[in-house]
Amino acid sequence: MTATITTQLPPSNHQFADVIHRLEAGGAMLPDTPENLMQIIGLYKAYAVPMDFYWRDLLYIAERVFLNPLPAFKYFLPQEYLDLPNHYAGDTADLRIWQKGSASAHPELLEFMENGRSTKMPKLFHHLLHDRINMEFAEACMQAMYWHRGMGGRFDPYLDTEEYKQNADRAIKAYFKGNPAMLAAYKLFPDMFIEQVRVLSYYSNLGLFWEVMAPVFFEMSDLYDEGKIASVPDAMNFLVNGIFAVAGRPIYHHVYIDGEMFEIIPKSVGFTWLYEAALPYVEAVFYRTAPFRGTKSYNAQAEQVPAEQADFHYGILYADVNPVGSAGIPPTLLMDDMYHFLPQYLLDYYEKHCRGKDDMLVQLGVSFQRSMYCVTSAVIQALRGALLYPLDDTNPKHLEKNRKFFEAQIDRFKRPEARLSDIQSQDYR
Amino acid sequence: MPNIVEIAVSNDNFKTLVAAVQAAGLVEALQSPGPFTVFAPVDAAFAALPPGTVQTLVQNPPQLARILKFHVVAGKFTQADLAKLGKVDSLEGSPISIDCSDGFEVKNSTVIAADIEADNGIIHVIDRVILMG
Repeated sequence: MTATITTQLPPSNHQFADVIHRLEAGGAMLPDTPENLMQIIGLYKAYAVPMDFYWRDLLYIAERVFLNPLPAFKYFLPQEYLDLPNHYAGDTADLRIWQKGSASAHPELLEFMENGRSTKMPKLFHHLLHDRINMEFAEACMQAMYWHRGMGGRFDPYLDTEEYKQNADRAIKAYFKGNPAMLAAYKLFPDMFIEQVRVLSYYSNLGLFWEVMAPVFFEMSDLYDEGKIASVPDAMNFLVNGIFAVAGRPIYHHVYIDGEMFEIIPKSVGFTWLYEAALPYVEAVFYRTAPFRGTKSYNAQAEQVPAEQADFHYGILYADVNPVGSAGIPPTLLMDDMYHFLPQYLLDYYEKHCRGKDDMLVQLGVSFQRSMYCVTSAVIQALRGALLYPLDDTNPKHLEKNRKFFEAQIDRFKRPEARLSDIQSQDYR
Repeated sequence: MPNIVEIAVSNDNFKTLVAAVQAAGLVEALQSPGPFTVFAPVDAAFAALPPGTVQTLVQNPPQLARILKFHVVAGKFTQADLAKLGKVDSLEGSPISIDCSDGFEVKNSTVIAADIEADNGIIHVIDRVILMG
């Protein structure tokens, strides 16, 4: 999946022609500079540690907490889920992506859960003092996927089938057996319960998606430290290969009730990581999400928020990172999570710029935005690889189709909120 | 006349494809009367996929079967038939675009041998694994 060529086509007339040409030469949307590379890899590392918590807790909620009407302790991961072997790390991996790491929870995560920012104390106190991983962020991503629907793949249509409803019905009845009140409520309002199970299926979907991304990011950080990832295209190509390698992993939803496993979405329906999790995730979280409560008015008369979901443009690729840390800016939760796990080279870097330690959340937010532009570049290149032609194809007709595809993708960044033009310069921080 | 599976097994260019069809449990289906139109990727097409791709699929038969079903169309369509249609629906459910304006292209792959007749359908050999979307 690597190629360095100069295209035989005439120059593009696109507003972002430079970016188009860079993509055609096997590059990313992000300029290839050592500073960019350091920022994106450092942020992958800082993101992967809380992500290691997110995916475990998402699966825990989907599989064990299930329909608990008062899930007060859903963020308290039992040991079983901290030990849960990641399918892409450790000796038992299906396909070992993270070479050095073990399959259980990351040591830095365990250390943070033990001591937090303060000191060692029971986890209930850490929770009440808000000295913890901001799991609400992961749930917000899940909700974006759940609410936007219709983003391709077969997952969402499946949730409306009779087959799915019957599977959910069996699990609901098993979960509430011996609880006549809840069973009566289910009889009265069956759809309410089925809908909650659909939400839980999205918990499982996102958990299985991130189970892959965490070891991918840890491995990239290790390779960077060893000098084996030396440029932005190297980083992007590692992601492209990673996307293909696990494209076929199954997406499913299993629930465990009294030691019995219920297949709400069986592996046998053939849902795949690429089509049913990764692509909908990118669309829902990188591009769309929901308008920040603190930057847009939901007033229907003001018409600030689009009427069509497809026009939503509030994902990380469009977000204004400057107000991070103030009220009504949801990514603050993630920035705060990543802040605890920054590598030393980034801490040193941020201290030298802007307001040093004081606005580090904003600075790391901008770096994070760069890193997600790199991930999106990888998705665009992977799609081009899967659906179109190699970059070094000799047929000019094929190259023309590649260019049309790149231009159509970059068209989405023409709107003024998009940060594509900002990230072209190092002054944006 | 041999059926689709027999043709593939007897040809050395389809070792990966035959192994994949077996792993996905589709041998019986492809031996049934059909008829089917199969776009068969050669070994080099699978080898061109990034490392790990085939391994993950072989570990997960239902997911592998889905990808393989995207290479199969119900009915028997020759190159001439496909040129007229411009688009056919695969067994997987997603459409496959056909372009015969300049050679014979199936989605983003090029047909390197067309119209191989079988007892229960027809095979077109392609140079790249095709994917939905």
